[in-house]
Amino acid sequence: MSDVLARRGFEPVMLKALGAAFIVFIVAYILIPVLVTLVMSFNDAAMIRFPINAWSLKWYQDFFASPQWTDALKSSVIIATGTAIISTVSGILAAWAFERFPIPFKNALYLLIMLPLFMPGVVLGLGIAMTFGGVQIAGVNLYGSRALVMIAHSLWAMPLVFMLMEATFRTVDYRVVEASYDLGANPLRTFIEIVVPMVSTGVISSALFAFVISLNEFVMALFLTDRDTQTLPVLMWLSLRSAGTPRLAVASVILALTVFACLAIIMVWYVRQLRKVSRN
Amino acid sequence: MTERTALELESVRRCFGSVVAVDDVSLSVAPGEFVTLLGPSGSGKTSTLRLIGGFEELDAGAIRIKGERIDHLPPYRRDTATIFQSGALFPHKTVAENVAYGLRMRKVERPERDERIRQALEIVRLQGYEDRYPSQLSGGQKQRVALARSLAVRPAILLFDEPLSALDLSLRLQLRGEIKRLHDELKFSAIYVTHDQGEAMAMSSRVAVMNKGRIEQIDRPEKIFHGPANEFVFTFIGESCCLPVRRGASEVTDRNGQAVALILQNSLPEGDSRLYIRPSRLKLAAEAQGLPNRLTATIHFIEFLGDMHRYHLKAGALEVFADHAGPIGHDVGALIDVGWRSEDMKVFR
Repeated sequence: MSDVLARRGFEPVMLKALGAAFIVFIVAYILIPVLVTLVMSFNDAAMIRFPINAWSLKWYQDFFASPQWTDALKSSVIIATGTAIISTVSGILAAWAFERFPIPFKNALYLLIMLPLFMPGVVLGLGIAMTFGGVQIAGVNLYGSRALVMIAHSLWAMPLVFMLMEATFRTVDYRVVEASYDLGANPLRTFIEIVVPMVSTGVISSALFAFVISLNEFVMALFLTDRDTQTLPVLMWLSLRSAGTPRLAVASVILALTVFACLAIIMVWYVRQLRKVSRN
Repeated sequence: MTERTALELESVRRCFGSVVAVDDVSLSVAPGEFVTLLGPSGSGKTSTLRLIGGFEELDAGAIRIKGERIDHLPPYRRDTATIFQSGALFPHKTVAENVAYGLRMRKVERPERDERIRQALEIVRLQGYEDRYPSQLSGGQKQRVALARSLAVRPAILLFDEPLSALDLSLRLQLRGEIKRLHDELKFSAIYVTHDQGEAMAMSSRVAVMNKGRIEQIDRPEKIFHGPANEFVFTFIGESCCLPVRRGASEVTDRNGQAVALILQNSLPEGDSRLYIRPSRLKLAAEAQGLPNRLTATIHFIEFLGDMHRYHLKAGALEVFADHAGPIGHDVGALIDVGWRSEDMKVFR
């Protein structure tokens, strides 16, 4: 009897300890690469190497003083912003149409829209490079332009937005939409004033996910950019081959921070909406 | 004709696949009239309302508002306003913004718009709630905002789509009274859909009883209750007992051919028929003496309903139940008389 009781008391402690250990492992596993990069970015030395003998901000100064690196960052941000706009607008409209209207071969179409997500970046990058290699618009080469990279990145971002928004639109109470029509708002007005605010968390998440996807993307950008339009990941890869300075770690930290900032915005917005919709 | 009707339906028909949801419905609503569509679920009452609001397309017939055909217009071009079952308030807009919405769409400009919002919220007694969000309101308050939002645009006709069915009983009774008061005060024209006959009887100028996509009877509530046009209306409105009887050459029997002690003032038609009585009109035992129609039956079981005792009686295969205030002094198994007046009975073949 006492034996059973003792064991009963023992088991939860064991489980709790295991659970805690597992959580520590997961957190460490996820965060260590980022933390190591963060630490390395403050290294005073000229090479990425442990142990760190002296600390400084000199590589941050170096990064922001170099036009090559700031241009790459600028390129990355412009392309990511463009990708976010293109894929959010098209993804949301497609998802709304998909949710609202009878469309033939809906399931097949859904798979088709999702297909680019599963395509290797090399395949898409190479395909786009070959397709648009010689195309000029108004005397400007499409190949190597930021616009082409935005379109390429949207191939990945748009399906994601579509998937997210399709699920979000399903939660919309259609009576509320009807109420808007009923009170005299036409479909466009209703979409902008009623539907979009109801799914604002989804819209913000979509835009930021698209932004992050584009920011992180490397393979297609490598295929499609030239010296003037190369993105930060592309420049990092190129410079890693010539000189592995802590400047690379600085670039990594900047990319990682941008991603964290996007996630933080999503969280804040979500909490804000939750507070608005739930009873105080 | 154009000035006399707020709304007119002419042989309206709507099918979903092979199912006829609304079948040849004609109806007109005079200005200031409150017409209720009453029927069981699937009777076509909500479909009819959605046809008027423009959320369903007509397969045949015509709909006119103030004499003008509107059945080809989308919902946002129709001068109707619907109060939905769920309220369907805009969750991200405040109470005032919800009420303002229809006015903004109708291009009512600032000073007047604010005045009409104030009026509408005053009418539904929600002053001081302007800046609340729908999630901060109770179910009853939400429906009052929905009502204010629809009233504010002053539509040619208000459409109520079972607005009280999601609320609990006491709130339902309270809001029902409030809608009635508002209608008496403002004299708006309205179509009200419900499956609750209490609501229909209490609020309506006229009630249209619907079944299988058709209007079975349309009349004032008292007329519907006291003079049901057919068997469906009789059984749907109020409680009723049904006695399936058969009249042979000489005697009245149940459907199994067993003779029953049934005395009627007017003789039944020959063959099978169904005799309906309102349980509230039945008199029991001593009180049944001297009534022209009587049935002798055994007490099967007795239910205690608070104010009433409900006596379930059996005579052969016939079953009736009758309500009596307090016990009648007979127990289960006793043979007693049930009596009723001829005007409380209907016979259908």
